[in-house]
Amino acid sequence: MELERREFVKLAAMSAAVGAASSMNAGKACAAPVDPPPAPDRPDIPGVQWDKAPCRFCGVGCHVQVGVKDGKVAAIAGDRQADVNKGLLCVKGYHVGMILYGEDRLTTPMVKRNGKLEPATWDEAIDVVARRIMKSGKKFGMYISGQSTVPEGYAAQKLVKGALANNHIEANARLCMASAVTGFLSTYGVDEPASCYDDLDACDTLIMWGNNPAEMHPVLFSRVVDRIARGEKIEIIDIGTRRTRTTDQADHYLEMRPHGDLAIANCLMQQLIENDTYDKAFVEKHCNFRADQDPRETAEALMDHDAYVAHVAKKGHSGLFGKPITFAQFKKLVSYYTPEKTEQLAGVPAEQLRMLAKVFADPKRRIVSMWCMGMNQHTAGTAVNNLVHGVHLLSGHWGRPGDGPQSLTGQPSACGTVREVGTLAHALPGGRLVAKQPHRAFCEKAWKLPAGHMNPKPGYHTVKMFEQLCTPTDAGGDIDTVWVQVTNPGQSLPNTKKLYKAKADLPDKFLIVSEVYPTASTELADVVLPAAMWVEKNGVYGNSERRTQQWFKMVDPPGDARDDCWQTLAVARRLFELGHPGLRGTDGKWLFTIEDENGDEIEYWKWENYYKINVDKHLFDEYRQFTFMKHKNVAPYDVLVKVRGLRWPVVETADGEFRETRWRFVEGDDVYVEKGRGFQFYHSTSKDDRAQVWFRPHHQPAELPDERHDFMLTTGRVLEHWHTGTMTMRIPQLRRAMPGAYVEMNPDDARERGISNGEVVAITTPRGEMRLPVWTNGRATPQRGHLFIPFFDESAQINDLTLDAIDPFSKQPDYKKSAAKVTRISEFAPPRQGGNP
Amino acid sequence: MTPHGKLTRRDLLVGRFRRAVEHARASNVASTESAQTKAVIQGRQCLAYRNLVCTTCYERCPEAGALVIDSGLPRVAADKCTGCAICRDVCPAPVNAVLMVGAKAEGGVR
Ligand code: SF4
Repeated sequence: MELERREFVKLAAMSAAVGAASSMNAGKACAAPVDPPPAPDRPDIPGVQWDKAPCRFCGVGCHVQVGVKDGKVAAIAGDRQADVNKGLLCVKGYHVGMILYGEDRLTTPMVKRNGKLEPATWDEAIDVVARRIMKSGKKFGMYISGQSTVPEGYAAQKLVKGALANNHIEANARLCMASAVTGFLSTYGVDEPASCYDDLDACDTLIMWGNNPAEMHPVLFSRVVDRIARGEKIEIIDIGTRRTRTTDQADHYLEMRPHGDLAIANCLMQQLIENDTYDKAFVEKHCNFRADQDPRETAEALMDHDAYVAHVAKKGHSGLFGKPITFAQFKKLVSYYTPEKTEQLAGVPAEQLRMLAKVFADPKRRIVSMWCMGMNQHTAGTAVNNLVHGVHLLSGHWGRPGDGPQSLTGQPSACGTVREVGTLAHALPGGRLVAKQPHRAFCEKAWKLPAGHMNPKPGYHTVKMFEQLCTPTDAGGDIDTVWVQVTNPGQSLPNTKKLYKAKADLPDKFLIVSEVYPTASTELADVVLPAAMWVEKNGVYGNSERRTQQWFKMVDPPGDARDDCWQTLAVARRLFELGHPGLRGTDGKWLFTIEDENGDEIEYWKWENYYKINVDKHLFDEYRQFTFMKHKNVAPYDVLVKVRGLRWPVVETADGEFRETRWRFVEGDDVYVEKGRGFQFYHSTSKDDRAQVWFRPHHQPAELPDERHDFMLTTGRVLEHWHTGTMTMRIPQLRRAMPGAYVEMNPDDARERGISNGEVVAITTPRGEMRLPVWTNGRATPQRGHLFIPFFDESAQINDLTLDAIDPFSKQPDYKKSAAKVTRISEFAPPRQGGNP
Repeated sequence: MTPHGKLTRRDLLVGRFRRAVEHARASNVASTESAQTKAVIQGRQCLAYRNLVCTTCYERCPEAGALVIDSGLPRVAADKCTGCAICRDVCPAPVNAVLMVGAKAEGGVR
């Protein structure tokens, strides 16, 4: 212990001495583990003050205890009081404190003058930004993040959609969650999972749909591995295109072709109906059937699969909510997807499909389906989300503990800040839509804007916004300014050369980037605003299971760095001073006015006053009124202060307590379900309290391998790094463990081409070329003809090569399927005679 | 490098993770003693023992068979370990889970 103590202090780093005891060693059914000693709640280190915060990284939303000493984060421990992680953290979480202390933190505002970024004062920088926004008018776009806090998102939303009456505000969650959102909306009429993580403690079968939680949601996956280690029988079924560390734990691995998921889900429904094993009572009471078009509108009463597909191809789809179809029509359409047919389409043996259908046919089994980017970054993302919900609805595996579909997020507040606050071009807070007049009217009233002030036309979605930014003005590029906060689009957008880097050649376009480190995004910025991060500011996040989590500022940001939320509000104040009419409310006051008890305005837009009040609390409690309409009631700020998050809807009980909801639409747990109903989908799109079971046909990916590009390239994350690596690559332990990108290849493909492990090859897609070492015996093995490249590495930005095709409903890009070619360098350029290789 | 310009696994490590390898080699040359050290995984610090997937040491060990994964848990095969300490350098556990011990102590550590 002495040695460890010293190590701690020396590294000013992360304690791991705590946590995990509950989940360790519990009779692991394998090579005798060492029994760890029981861990204390948090280590007792002299002079260290502890407080709670959610982890800064992934959507699991673990809680950490943050130890602060001498104004610096000095230790991190898993929070044993947190339901999500019960004291455990993953390798990223244990090191999270060090994200604050990279050597190259941005500490001074920079403004471009004569083509060069130069230091500026905050007053100058804020003024430049405000004047640019004034000038830009409807050509201004704001691009925030699923890592922005709820108050940050709310303030940006109110500024852009409210004050500026400009709907061009988007968040990077468009790139990761949008298809889950459209999937939920078109199935249940309201966004976000009905289930929660508790299901993982109760399921008998866990099905992964293109998901690798062992690396991407490690703490969540450990909940299941723990149960297996304790001797419980849980069947893990992995459906994917590559064998991963998750597959290592699986009982069955169904290796599919890209877009095979569409056929597989249809096949499960075909089998359930054909074998008469679907849940008739559940379907009769709680489901409707839906498709893109209703064949009853034509002469043909029942169309077969091919006729229907041709019909829709001719007529187009009828919008996100589709048209009702009959069960008979549904049955006819899915009957096409026999196991044999599906084997042809998806590449999964018919036998395995029958096995999976039997799992769903068993009414007693409790089944959780889990997915994340595999199903969302998909040009049929909405469709496949619908289908997996459909399989659970049709089989009645829905709404019991351990029994239901569970969509995961990749970012810590994709749900809280983007989906709930509605920081997407078409949305308003609390599930409202810009296109709906009553919804705008509600916002106008709440924000003290004149009636009719807000713009009814949705703004540009992310890909469109950046496309317009990168298109010359005289060629119709009608976005000329984008303000980026808390995200790194220069590396994370698909096809970045087209959608971001092309801005470099357009001098009349303007980028404002609020950041903590130099990134691919700040490289092209005209203004760089140094930002505070994580526990350098107050915050509220909302994780994948509807859990809203609050934390307080614990340390000061370095140098002149300041909160993103303050930056937004300071610009909003400057716009008001410059006379922008949108910033003046109907009461004549600034839209973001906060008054003290005497009714005097608090000048909190001045940085020295910002933390004299809790701005987060004011914004959050103001935002709270928006959450009731769609029954997404968040708890008051002061209640969240006391807990490790609460899952909405949070309802006030008779004795003034606030109670969270674990399972939505389920009688007994969700108070909005009427007595005796069992289940009630009270936001149903068909207004009859039913969920929609969709028919969505299989179709091919947007880009397929051909003779020139004979591989299918997928991208993704790795365990050690979070997204573009701007934070985790600055943590020495994580950088050492995973220092750079590589290309994963099936060993047989490598052998056939004479490529050896470690050889540097050229990867080419129709968008460009990149050189990377091959890893054939790494963490995962792609199927034949497939490649995998992680996107964290700044020095190998694979999104320069990815495709920017999007889902028609969610507008989410498909990063997972780009056609690619592998060339040995020796084939390309013969080595120079006598020179160095 | 082989004559065909192919990289061996060791070359890959040298290329991508040069610093760690050089450091390890340098210390091997500098001290004959270190040539006799062996890596030992300390279960109480190792992430894999907490049911979190972690196989970094195994992935980066340049000696075939020196590090093995047994039901998800890493273990050093002492007879194959060359003592290069790459696994210690790359271990991402918050408190490093790899201990380099002298060959004499080897018999006593499992
Ligand atoms: S990265 Fe995710 S799984 Fe890991 S500690 Fe943070 S929230 Fe938990």
